[in-house]
Amino acid sequence: MTPSVVGRTLRGSGLDRVLPYLMLGPTLFLVLGVIVYPLIDGLRSSTGFFRFGRLVRDVGLDNYRQAFADPAFLEALLTTARFVFLAVTIETILGLGLALLVARERRFIRRIRATLILPMIVTPVVVGIVFRLIYASDVGLLASMAHAVGLDPPQILSSGTGAFLGLVFLDVWEWTPLLFLILLAGIQSMPVEPFEAARVDGAGAWRTFVDHTLPLLRPTILVAVTLRAIEALTTFDQVYVLTRGGPGTSTQLISIYGYQTFFQFQQVGYAAAMLFMVALVVLVAAGLSVGLMRRRAA
Amino acid sequence: MTRDRLAGIAWAVGALVALAFAVVPLLWMVLTSVKTNREITQDTSLIPQALTTANYVSLFSGREFAAYLTNSIIVTFVSVAIALILGTQAAYVLARFRLRGGMQRYVGSSLLMVRLLPPIVIIIPIFLVAQGFGLLNTRLSLIVVYAAFNVTIVVWMMESFFREIPVDLEEAAMVDGDTRFTAFRRIVLPLAAPGLVATGIFAAITTYNEFLFALVLTSTPAAETMPIGAATLIGRINVDWGAMSAAGVVGALPIVIFSIFVQKHLVRGLTMGAVK
Repeated sequence: MTPSVVGRTLRGSGLDRVLPYLMLGPTLFLVLGVIVYPLIDGLRSSTGFFRFGRLVRDVGLDNYRQAFADPAFLEALLTTARFVFLAVTIETILGLGLALLVARERRFIRRIRATLILPMIVTPVVVGIVFRLIYASDVGLLASMAHAVGLDPPQILSSGTGAFLGLVFLDVWEWTPLLFLILLAGIQSMPVEPFEAARVDGAGAWRTFVDHTLPLLRPTILVAVTLRAIEALTTFDQVYVLTRGGPGTSTQLISIYGYQTFFQFQQVGYAAAMLFMVALVVLVAAGLSVGLMRRRAA
Repeated sequence: MTRDRLAGIAWAVGALVALAFAVVPLLWMVLTSVKTNREITQDTSLIPQALTTANYVSLFSGREFAAYLTNSIIVTFVSVAIALILGTQAAYVLARFRLRGGMQRYVGSSLLMVRLLPPIVIIIPIFLVAQGFGLLNTRLSLIVVYAAFNVTIVVWMMESFFREIPVDLEEAAMVDGDTRFTAFRRIVLPLAAPGLVATGIFAAITTYNEFLFALVLTSTPAAETMPIGAATLIGRINVDWGAMSAAGVVGALPIVIFSIFVQKHLVRGLTMGAVK
């Protein structure tokens, strides 16, 4: 129940009755004007046909139909889905493993945690640069290491599969710390009783993990995975710097394709329609996770 | 006994691998940035043989990195400040008042949905609106957009902080003659200070690192921010690895230094920013 003191202590004071609206107003105005209005405006332009950035005529849902007949769009969707699935799965497993490993070593955690989370603090564009410097076939870290032991340098960014996996690895490097942080917080706030009971019963580490840790941690894992997946779905900066979607279309995520459709090909309406379909997916996922978080907070 | 020692070894090895995993890629960029171009391209050495500052000198003499840095600091600071000032008030209302028709519940959830909305899906309309207002390539356009996104973060994080502060404190202050608003300012805000700090840190890091809006809304060093400066450098001179790595170091350094300064509150800011 929301605590309310309005009726009790503030009756009769004219200013205090409108105060909540005065305090809330500027925020609503800002969000409505800068985010919601453009969103609606964009929804309108997604039904238009544009030439040189100007609306020529209304085409109804043609832009949406066009998307499903566009192999490049469908391929970008598939690439994005594979990227999100692979990256988030690996991040969750690594993050969980790391969190379990260090959960009891509180003193050490405090010391190394600041270093462990560096990847998620470093500017994403710079992360793109970091991995170009690692993958570059002539001067990269991997090439130099191969050189040092007398092997041929690996060609990562020049092959489709290599570039895709390279991008997945970049994401794993950058965002495993986030999963680690969230799951660590989850582990440290778990009740101790079930674990003591399990120890008394002589349960092994694996049984304890399956019977107690996982079920207790499940809501946290679910929220963390949803949030991470939503963000991974629209990964842009790192791809823009690392591969620009290439070679060919091997790393062309939906955000890159939408961006290019708008800024290079000037297809305003079509790009808007594509991105709105992405938005729809995100909003459904966001709605689910908001529901989850509300339930957890309640 | 042996089991414990085994666990200890596993722990140490795991922690070491994780640390190396996090640090080595960054270290390689720093090492590359202090190598001569000859050494980068021909010797392919792992450790620099002769240190040079040439890459950094060229970054600051021939290019606009001072302007990028100024823009980033101004845009980040102003937009986070606006978001904190407006957002804490809104969050307080959502935490404490029952509005007409139970509106506070919908407003809170809606703002959270907006916060989860990825920038890419509204980049086109925002570009068109900014173009219509003649705001392209100004710091103002970035400040306004960032303030709007940041305010949703602030409301989301601060609402729960305010809920944890007992209502009695404000009521006591009001009995002593404070108005509702002065009670909020004098009593509640100071108690929520740790939350404000964590929120501000999270918002500042997100804002400094933002790339897409800056890429679309700005086009010259008059408004371009640090990430844009680093990215455009790559586009122009694809083969100058030394300059590229130096640009990466310079681009990331401000936010890394900031993080070191606020280390104590950082982890809470990052965790809360993600899940609350």
